[in-house]
Amino acid sequence: MSSGAAHAVLAATATAHTAAAPVHVSGLGFITPLGRSIEAFDDALFAGRSAVRAQPLEIPGMDPMAIAAATCDFDASSVRSASRLPLDRGTAMALAAAQDAAADAGLDLDALDRDRLGIFWGSGLAGASTFDATTRALYGEQRRMRPTTVLTVMPNAAVAELALHFGARGAALAYACACASSAVAIGEAMRAIRGGWIDIAIVGGHDAMLTPGVMASWHAMRVMAPPPADAPATACRPFSGDRAGFAIGEGAAALVLESEAHARARGAGAQPFVLSGYASNCDGTHITNPDPAGQVRAMRAALRDAGLVPSDIGHINAHGTATSAGDAAEAASIGELFGDAAPVSATKAIHGHVLGGGGAIELVAALRALAREILPPIAHLHTPDAAFGNVDFVRGAAREARGLRHVLSNSFAFGGTNAVIVASRRVSEG
Amino acid sequence: MSSSPTFNSIATILETDFRVARANISPATALSDLGLDSLALMEFVFAVEDAFHLRIPEDRLDPREAGITLQRLCEVIDAEGEAAAARAEPMAAAA
Repeated sequence: MSSGAAHAVLAATATAHTAAAPVHVSGLGFITPLGRSIEAFDDALFAGRSAVRAQPLEIPGMDPMAIAAATCDFDASSVRSASRLPLDRGTAMALAAAQDAAADAGLDLDALDRDRLGIFWGSGLAGASTFDATTRALYGEQRRMRPTTVLTVMPNAAVAELALHFGARGAALAYACACASSAVAIGEAMRAIRGGWIDIAIVGGHDAMLTPGVMASWHAMRVMAPPPADAPATACRPFSGDRAGFAIGEGAAALVLESEAHARARGAGAQPFVLSGYASNCDGTHITNPDPAGQVRAMRAALRDAGLVPSDIGHINAHGTATSAGDAAEAASIGELFGDAAPVSATKAIHGHVLGGGGAIELVAALRALAREILPPIAHLHTPDAAFGNVDFVRGAAREARGLRHVLSNSFAFGGTNAVIVASRRVSEG
Repeated sequence: MSSSPTFNSIATILETDFRVARANISPATALSDLGLDSLALMEFVFAVEDAFHLRIPEDRLDPREAGITLQRLCEVIDAEGEAAAARAEPMAAAA
């Protein structure tokens, strides 16, 4: 088919172009259940210490239940919106994470050409929590909606606040691809920078979904793990034979990305890693059931984009939701492409499934593994599913990985969208 | 007036939730001079209504009417509060 041929040409062009154009990561910022600082994040990540707890869910008329959830120690009222409108909790997290990333990158907004600054941001359910709360008020005693509800709830609410805050004029784009939203946002920003459309971008994603109506919606899907009464922190057990679904998490993560030339010109500090590859595709088969063939295609394409082959990858941060079908598909696709040659971690076990923020938070985890040359363990994984025998899961304690050069982070979404990002240790210039 | 509990409450809302500098908040300040756009002004009135558990009838505070001051807003709030209290406790109000 002609479209297939066109895609082949585009893919070849991208490969030739991008292998020479890694994207500079000049700053990180995040609000996660593991903490807000690199130190706190690393401590929990490499110890496999779970932030998942049993959170009561009580709705009048429904049997009370407990949901496995990982919350952030975060006061949304500490964040001020540039618009002066009230903020959804997730948008507040997005602003805080982005401000931390900008500070980490040493951005001087007055010195930037902000026509060349873009915001690329992902969220799965965006303002669902605010909508849940405001409609509860509407149908309850308030009998009215706030005049700002639409602006607070719309999928690009966070993007709009970020663009206002930073005065970004190059792009302000929201990506909504469920669990892959922020991975797609990051990857599309890589493409925009490589393509020369912008020089620098603030990227990432968030979700904050821990209001009763949203939690009840997830619970109704039968994808959430029941928190064990004696050990609720172990609710989410990726790739385990006794896995039972995921814990829901909240949070945001942001990165500052820029072209190497732009980073050099403004004297940005040299981070030890770059983003070297990205690919996104779609299974095109089922709304929830993942297709290993689609995942393999996405991982292959990301490797091609980075100019790498499977044996170059020293670590994979899996999507690893701990659902029955999700883990089976991912173990099959990783096994097919990498066999047991690439050690696999799955960090949703400790920070929960942050949906739109998950891809960005998990990329941060992969970057920390790269920076520290240590692979985080898959928490609560004692006995992997017997069917996944050909994959090397990092179990028990963190594993040393001296000389680790390339890592890969998977995000596989409801709706079939797959997004894969490859990050690499910076090769010294000269 | 500047130290009335009602004024202090709305000044706190303006300062905390709408980032209006305290120096720009006085009883004589017109709503239109707070530096808020029309949407933020509506949100501010909603926030005030929620804080005082009352509803200001639209004809008492027509946003199209220029020059409504914070003092006027306080008077409307106090009057609505008294009216609500009278409805809730007719005997006490009569006494």
